[in-house]
Amino acid sequence: MAASTRPIILAILSRGEDYGYSIIQKVKDISGGHLKWTDGMLYPVLQRMEMDDLITSKWKLSGEGRPRHYYTITEKGRKELASELVSWRNVWQALVRLAKPIPAED
Amino acid sequence: MMFDLEKEIRKWKKSLQKHEVFENGFIADIELHLRDSYSAQKQAGLTEEDAFRQAVAQVGTAESIAAEYNKNRLVMLNRHSPLRPGRFMPALVWNYIKTALRTIRRHKGYSLINVSGLAIGLTVCMLIVLWVADEWSFDRFNTNARQIYRVYRNESATQKNSTTVLTPPPMAAALKSDFPEIIKATRFGYWHRQLVTYKDKSFNEPGFRYADPDFIDMFSFPLIKGNPKTVLSNPYSVILTEKTATKYFAEEDPLGKILTVNNSFNVTVTGVIHNESLNSSLEFDLLSPFVIILKESIGEGNADNWGFNSFGTYVMLEQSASADNLNQKLAGYLKKYSDTDTDELVLQPLTDIHLFSNLGHDLRNRGDIKYVWIFSALAVFVLLIACVNFMNLTTARSANRAKEVGLRKVVGAERSQLIRQFFGESILIALLALVIALIFLELLLPLFNTLSGKQLASGWWNNPILLLGFIGLALVTGILSGSYPALFLSAFQPIRILKSTERSSGANPLFRKILVIFQFTLSVFLIIGTLIISRQLSYMRNIDLGFSKEHIIYLSIHGELHDKYGSIRERFLQNPDVIRITASMTLPTNIQGSPGTPMWEGRPSDAKMEIKADFVDYDYIETFEIPLVEGRSFSRQYSADPETAFIVNEEAVRRMGLEKPVVGKRFGFWNIDGQIIGVMKDAHFQNLHHKIEPLVFKMFPGWLRRMYVKIRSANVPSTLASLEKTWEEMNLGYPFEYRFLDEDFHNLYKSEARLGKIFQSFAALAVFIACLGLFGLASFIAEQRTKEIGIRKVLGSSTARIVALLNREFLYCIAAANLIAWPIAYFATHEWLQKFPYRTNIKIWVFLLSAALGLAVALLTVSLQTLRAARANPVDSLRHE
Repeated sequence: MAASTRPIILAILSRGEDYGYSIIQKVKDISGGHLKWTDGMLYPVLQRMEMDDLITSKWKLSGEGRPRHYYTITEKGRKELASELVSWRNVWQALVRLAKPIPAED
Repeated sequence: MMFDLEKEIRKWKKSLQKHEVFENGFIADIELHLRDSYSAQKQAGLTEEDAFRQAVAQVGTAESIAAEYNKNRLVMLNRHSPLRPGRFMPALVWNYIKTALRTIRRHKGYSLINVSGLAIGLTVCMLIVLWVADEWSFDRFNTNARQIYRVYRNESATQKNSTTVLTPPPMAAALKSDFPEIIKATRFGYWHRQLVTYKDKSFNEPGFRYADPDFIDMFSFPLIKGNPKTVLSNPYSVILTEKTATKYFAEEDPLGKILTVNNSFNVTVTGVIHNESLNSSLEFDLLSPFVIILKESIGEGNADNWGFNSFGTYVMLEQSASADNLNQKLAGYLKKYSDTDTDELVLQPLTDIHLFSNLGHDLRNRGDIKYVWIFSALAVFVLLIACVNFMNLTTARSANRAKEVGLRKVVGAERSQLIRQFFGESILIALLALVIALIFLELLLPLFNTLSGKQLASGWWNNPILLLGFIGLALVTGILSGSYPALFLSAFQPIRILKSTERSSGANPLFRKILVIFQFTLSVFLIIGTLIISRQLSYMRNIDLGFSKEHIIYLSIHGELHDKYGSIRERFLQNPDVIRITASMTLPTNIQGSPGTPMWEGRPSDAKMEIKADFVDYDYIETFEIPLVEGRSFSRQYSADPETAFIVNEEAVRRMGLEKPVVGKRFGFWNIDGQIIGVMKDAHFQNLHHKIEPLVFKMFPGWLRRMYVKIRSANVPSTLASLEKTWEEMNLGYPFEYRFLDEDFHNLYKSEARLGKIFQSFAALAVFIACLGLFGLASFIAEQRTKEIGIRKVLGSSTARIVALLNREFLYCIAAANLIAWPIAYFATHEWLQKFPYRTNIKIWVFLLSAALGLAVALLTVSLQTLRAARANPVDSLRHE
């Protein structure tokens, strides 16, 4: 998975708890359709993040009567997100300073 | 064909399930996603079938997702499981306790053996701890104990390996003024018994001691009454102990009361001291200023006499001063005051006096570090035997716990948790045993006190250190005895136990045998030790001393009595039941050495000889029936005898290298030039810890302090009554106080006899505990083999053969234990006997008897169980289980 996936998921969850399908839709929207991974690949990422105590999860019954696995960001996750944001910003700034603008695709 | 979504999803799920990383939860996650995605595609306008295919494609291949999950799994395996239970689960504590109590309750017999064995072991340990602590505490109550030293003389310049604690009167003051680091110094002395009278009460006081005023500041005896600053400043004052004060004055206030000593001078009571509960090597009942001895007994001229070596000297050093330095400075010190005195002074720490001292003329009632070690070892042995019982019974019966262990493991217990559980159980049992042991301790303490002659009080309830020590002892016992069972039980494989493929018959039988052998090695060792000790004690009591001590009473003749000795003697001799009367300075049971080397004919100038000496009266040789090998006894027919006659023993002749005839050879001692008139056979005039040494008797009427009356063996009570009547008639002013010499002789070995008895009792308890364990083990084995016994009986085996079969295993163990114990016991007792110059020999029958005793006790114990098992009706035993 791309290194960007985890901060993106954390960023989504920092706005409130969410469930798998919805998260993936949001990731797709944010990445502007450039995500090269299939949907199923996100679930192992979520599991791994849970193992790392960045997020927690619990089952809830949704309004449509379907059970949903909801994920919530933890305190550790928020810290991780903050530090990720700092380093991403640094990388981005460095790239801006060094690189010529990349021509946008048509 | 209609598209069936559910069927398709089931098929899709099956393809996922091929990968074992997909746990049900993961599949549920992805399935939900698929459904969401499908709904979204359908809403976008796709057909059901297309929407499903699109959704499946978007989710991705099972392989790629599985690969990601697999990565996670690897990470997880490298980490600790998040489900790992805590090291200690409080929720299970109650369960542990319940299980432990249930085990105790279900197997009452075994629990009783375990708990009582440990309780007895702990009791013995606690008694010994109290005894050792008491021995160790001697003189340590003194707050200045670390700064106080006794000064003793090392006489090795003139006599080999000879020391004495007796020093001259001027020494204490001289040391104090010569060495600035000595801040306080006192003499501590004894000068015969004193007759002390208050109104109509009169006692011959053996505990009258004398000390200088510094004594009060140096030692920490609490003064209950009186002013510590002035209590000894008046020469004619006396401090009494509480007990003595009560003896004379009962309820009256003793302060200011006047006591008459020897009917000749008065002393005023200036203080009352408490020393009852204090362990002090310095014993006294009455304490007066030392100057009284000079004024009233030996004459003030002796205050500066550096040759008058009769008293103890104690010094207190500055806190910063080092005794080693001072010892070096003391080299050659005595020469300064007496040019011929080649002895060296040495400082001995006050706290060494009780246990570590073996100096000449030492104080009475001292202990011996050797016994402290022996008893400590005994305590450890007894506890070990009790611990082995516990180990053996617990592991033997482990089959009963195996299912529990299996189940606990299956539901997730780890080995470390089980180890902790079993340790917890053994500690619980040890603590239970401690409670019982504390009760035993209180019950047995009075008995132990009688046995040991001590006044021990446990007082654990208000002595936190002791209580913590006892609890610590119980914890150590619990951990020690629980160690093997805990490791053994926790190692069970749940699968084997629960499948019951293997019938667990308890612990490794070899290990169990080793434990039994270990126990009985200790037991046999203790039995041999007990036998050897009691043999040595009876050897010492019954040895032919070389002189007669039977039917001889002795009376102290000090003070005025000394002057009246002649007339008392005459009056007593008129009694037809009195055979002989004589007198001497010291008791024949303990004749001490005298400093200096005597002169004899042909003595090489550098020859040295230590010699014991006593001053005696006419008839001494005859009264004690000491055989003479040459010459004659002191006789009234030779007028020179009281002046110049000496009688020596054979050992002295041997050491002096005198040729026969010895009689008539010149001999001199104490500046008296005389000759040898007789040679007596060697006899034991000291206790048997001492070798027979050169001895000399000289007549010296001025120094006679004890009078001996040999009476007929018939009608002893009436003879004594008539002697007392004569005594009263003579109106001597002293009570008629006598003792039997042979009684006194037995007192020489009182401490040994006591220690021997304590050792015996504890050894018996140790053997008892070992048998208790054996009993439990035997009953367990008999129970295990119930069916076998039944079958054997049905097939025609006799009870005797079954008993023999069951006993055989134990017999081998006991035999092996004997083989191991014998050499150890031989070397240990041989080593112990070495410290007695006159000792019994180690006979093989002692070992055989010990083996027989060990065997008999063990067989009896085992047979109690095996016989019952063997005699059981086979019908019942075959129905067993």
